[in-house]
Amino acid sequence: MIFSILSLTPELSWMLIKVLVCIGFLMLLAPPLTWVERRGSAMIQDRIGPNRAALFGKIKILGLAHVLADGLKFFFKEDLIPKDANRSLFWIAPALAFIPALLGFAVIPVGRSFQVEGVTYHLSLIDPNNGMGLLYPLAIGGLAVYGVLVAAWSSNNKWSILGGMRASAQMVSYELGLGLSVLALFVAVGGYDPHEVILDQVEHGWFLWRQPIGFLVFFVCQFAETNRLPFDFAEGESEIVAGFHTEFGSMKFGLMGLTEYIHIIVASALIVTLYLGGWSIPFNGDGDRWPVLVTVASFLVKLLFMCWVFVWVRWTLPRFRYDQLMYLGWRIMFPLSLLNLVLNAWWITR
Amino acid sequence: MATLVKKIQLSWWDRLYFPSVLKGMWITWGHFIRQILTPTSKRFTIQYPEMKKEMPEGYRGLHELKQFEDGSIKCVACFMCQEACPARCITIEAEEFSDLNFTQGFEEKRPKVFKIDMLRCIYCGMCEEACPKDAIWLRKDYELAAYDRLSLNYGKWDLMNTYADTDGKPIQTESSELPPSPPRNFVTM
Ligand code: SF4
Ligand code: SF4
Repeated sequence: MIFSILSLTPELSWMLIKVLVCIGFLMLLAPPLTWVERRGSAMIQDRIGPNRAALFGKIKILGLAHVLADGLKFFFKEDLIPKDANRSLFWIAPALAFIPALLGFAVIPVGRSFQVEGVTYHLSLIDPNNGMGLLYPLAIGGLAVYGVLVAAWSSNNKWSILGGMRASAQMVSYELGLGLSVLALFVAVGGYDPHEVILDQVEHGWFLWRQPIGFLVFFVCQFAETNRLPFDFAEGESEIVAGFHTEFGSMKFGLMGLTEYIHIIVASALIVTLYLGGWSIPFNGDGDRWPVLVTVASFLVKLLFMCWVFVWVRWTLPRFRYDQLMYLGWRIMFPLSLLNLVLNAWWITR
Repeated sequence: MATLVKKIQLSWWDRLYFPSVLKGMWITWGHFIRQILTPTSKRFTIQYPEMKKEMPEGYRGLHELKQFEDGSIKCVACFMCQEACPARCITIEAEEFSDLNFTQGFEEKRPKVFKIDMLRCIYCGMCEEACPKDAIWLRKDYELAAYDRLSLNYGKWDLMNTYADTDGKPIQTESSELPPSPPRNFVTM
């Protein structure tokens, strides 16, 4: 085996496999998601969508070749840097946006933990009881603001800076509601580890039903966090060209685009873990008897559904006005999440 | 002057937003399902090179110079169309055409050169209106493209033969030289 050649311990090789599979999964899922977005939006708007690009000029596969063609195109585009841009920051910005987006997935368990020969294997990158739990993806999610802001600042463009400022204000204000709604959930679970949260949901039912207000707030705030319509103020193409990534071209832009979709996947994974029972299977009690692969499949189905909801909402709702966004964030989402917290706190001390 | 925008008071139900959002999502979902289940041929979008739109009656596309059944040109080179053309894109040179001399004792005119510069033409249909002989028609062809300007300067033969589809006349292709004009039948009275 290759692992014995590299003289890796089983733990290390297991870790390696997990890292490769997880990151590979995210990177592989994001491009098809762009396809889903383009074709899905087309169908929603009674259009047809991109369907012309073909592999070797022959195989059209429903326009999936457009994904490949786009990627290839980004690689061969000229890499322009604006004259007065801050060059080093301009180079770092896409990575700064991309990496935090990717990292958030690390604590999400994609399936049931299982035991082989007395060793327990966990299907999340970071094993449970690591002391970070679900605080980690939230903290990393907070870092996403830097990617946007640095990209906006470094490109020395007024549209960009407007987009960046809007995005940062928006993300910071919605983080409050996000944190508080998750807090109510932690209170109900009595722990903040994703495994505990999921096991609690296996026992007592999904948090979607137990904390609908919390779910609502969390869901809306995730839209703000991922900078998607109806909250895509960082871009707002009708107002500020393309917002924070106006000046980015070639693969830098490709990375920015990929980041958005990875954000969607991670946000969906979070929603699934926190509110939709993670890898558990509804109406089917007893979590210890499910085959591991079935739990993984269950997780994937929920994840893909949430990703689709993100696309679906984007093509349903128009963009908010900026003051409406702030109003919604501070005067509705924040009090709602507080109310949710208080209600849940009262519920468990009853 | 500043304009005061009246704020619309929404009902509490509307201000909850979520019912309306769900309703909107229901609508988009309906569109999605309906569109995805519609076969390509029935969708609104016409997949152009594979599918073509049937042009409506009265569409003004590429011209055709009409022929008699025997294939001789209907046009008598009266220059009416050239005069009427607002884009000045018709060039006609007349010639005498004297087969009839033998029986009728008079001569007729016909165009020796009949050129329309399709790049200048605005497809207004004035030529069609002006023609006393119904010799020039605007038909439904709209796919006019070429790699150079000269090839869109249609000559007499092009104009007589490019459009023959819905008439049931065969499209003549791949003969580069002018086809020999068919022998004109003598008119027997
Ligand atoms: S359609 Fe109008 S512009 Fe074109 S040739 Fe006839 S009269 Fe001239
Ligand atoms: S096409 Fe009609 S109007 Fe034009 S020269 Fe011929 S007969 Fe006259």
